[in-house]
Amino acid sequence: MIQINPIIRLVNRNLTISINPGFIIWQILFPLIYIFVAGFAYTSLIDSVPFGGKNLDYPAFLASGMIGFNIMNSTLISGIIIWNDRRHGMFEQIMSGPFTRTHYILSNIATIGIIGLFSAALITAVGYPVFFDSVEFNIVTIPLIIFGSVVGAILFGSIASIISVKLRSSEGFNVIINTVFLFCAFASTAFYPVQGAPQPLATIFYLNPLSYLVDIIRAGIFGQVTDFVITEMLVLVALAAILFVIATKLLTKLDF
Amino acid sequence: MLCIETKDLRKKYASTLAVDGVDLQIESGQVFGFLGPNGAGKSTVIKLLTTLISPSNGKISVLGIDSAKHPLEIRKKIGVVLQQPSYEPTLSAEKSLEKYGMMWNIDKKIRKKRTEELLSAFGLEEIRKKKMDDLSIGQRRRVQVAREFMHDMELLFLDEPTVGLDPAARRKLLDFLREQVKNSGLTIFYTTHVLSEAEYLCDNIAIINNGKIMAVDSPSELKNRFGHEKTIKIHISKVSEELKSKLSKIPECQIKLEPEPTVIINSTKSEIILMNILQILNETETKINDLSAIPTNLEEIFLKVVGDSN
Repeated sequence: MIQINPIIRLVNRNLTISINPGFIIWQILFPLIYIFVAGFAYTSLIDSVPFGGKNLDYPAFLASGMIGFNIMNSTLISGIIIWNDRRHGMFEQIMSGPFTRTHYILSNIATIGIIGLFSAALITAVGYPVFFDSVEFNIVTIPLIIFGSVVGAILFGSIASIISVKLRSSEGFNVIINTVFLFCAFASTAFYPVQGAPQPLATIFYLNPLSYLVDIIRAGIFGQVTDFVITEMLVLVALAAILFVIATKLLTKLDF
Repeated sequence: MLCIETKDLRKKYASTLAVDGVDLQIESGQVFGFLGPNGAGKSTVIKLLTTLISPSNGKISVLGIDSAKHPLEIRKKIGVVLQQPSYEPTLSAEKSLEKYGMMWNIDKKIRKKRTEELLSAFGLEEIRKKKMDDLSIGQRRRVQVAREFMHDMELLFLDEPTVGLDPAARRKLLDFLREQVKNSGLTIFYTTHVLSEAEYLCDNIAIINNGKIMAVDSPSELKNRFGHEKTIKIHISKVSEELKSKLSKIPECQIKLEPEPTVIINSTKSEIILMNILQILNETETKINDLSAIPTNLEEIFLKVVGDSN
């Protein structure tokens, strides 16, 4: 018998229980509505947005922001997997089988990485007609997008994991996770440019890791890798590492 | 060969000693019953033996493997059905079995074959496409137990596996487990509160209370050791004052008037007392409607052992 790595087996299981037609439709439909309805409706209010050395159309700006937003949204799955596993006894069942906690944690990370990349690819494909005029893909920018997607997925997956480990009730889990993710979504540069925003709001935008993720992905798509974007990458990596360590420690200490 | 061996096993939670110096030696190829009242420490012992939690003190060897050194090696060789339900709400019963087999790295062809066999053996064919979330508690429990047979194992832990099952499903499961032990040499560590189940299934039984093992033996030996008392019931037509007076002089015998007049003997010398009572009934011209002797069952032994230890 071929020995398949336990992490791959758990990833297979995670993907099977998480991805369903409803999830995929939601992953496509929601960004599509935003890009094509909100994107074109707000064009009359926001003519163009300066980004790096370029001026972007608002729909192109929004479509690229939606990639980061969708990565964040899809990583909610990580929290939902852990929360469901605990609620339905599967965490204990898996831990009494041929797996270790390290396998479990790494499989979750791999799952959210895959879903994050899938999500980014999906929105890139859907949004391509909108930002295709300004696109500047090259040998540096494509790895940058992949890097941003994976690190962002780990970061938000860790946040979702921490919330799921800390909360037992479904009401508490839903309220907290929706509040955190809603704040991250709307207090970021995913939907609106920071230029012209009131100073307190602009500051809040940059206390939010989604802004960093979105900026990195935009830089990748439009070929505008500036010093500021490199700083954002470093901050994102550091934050993701810290949150990942916290999530791992909490999961390791989870009692039966 | 010893399948499970524990020495001075202890588990302490804050100020509570959940498991207090448990020594077990369980031979392979049998069903070992582990009985005890609620909170006696049964599930904690299972969690210790399945390496889910670590002991505060003592040694555990499962299938000859030291649990402190190689917990994963043990988990690769055992199956576990825990007390609480465990299921994937979005998967169907069939998919649950199939995916569980995949998680245990079972070949796709074997998985498919075993899924069909288990769906049939556990009477799950009609609900195979139903989502786990839509099943009743008993149906989910059947899937949970069936799922464990998707993979090969040497030792299976079953923590109250028949909870929520109807009598037919329960009997079907017990017979299935007996077959597995007989045909594949599997060892089963079995806990239950239904003592007739333990009597039907188990080769040996341990009774635990307050974290301590109170007795370990085969059901028949336990009966010999603790079951000397026999109960004899004599249903009579009437109770006269004369009868009451004469019976009051006989120890270990009582009269119940409701629902019908009955003389009950509960003694280690029931047969001798019976002879005396029959004589009194004859003298008082009391008619006997019915007479029954109740054999000692495991439930009485259990209550006695637990009661004595309390």
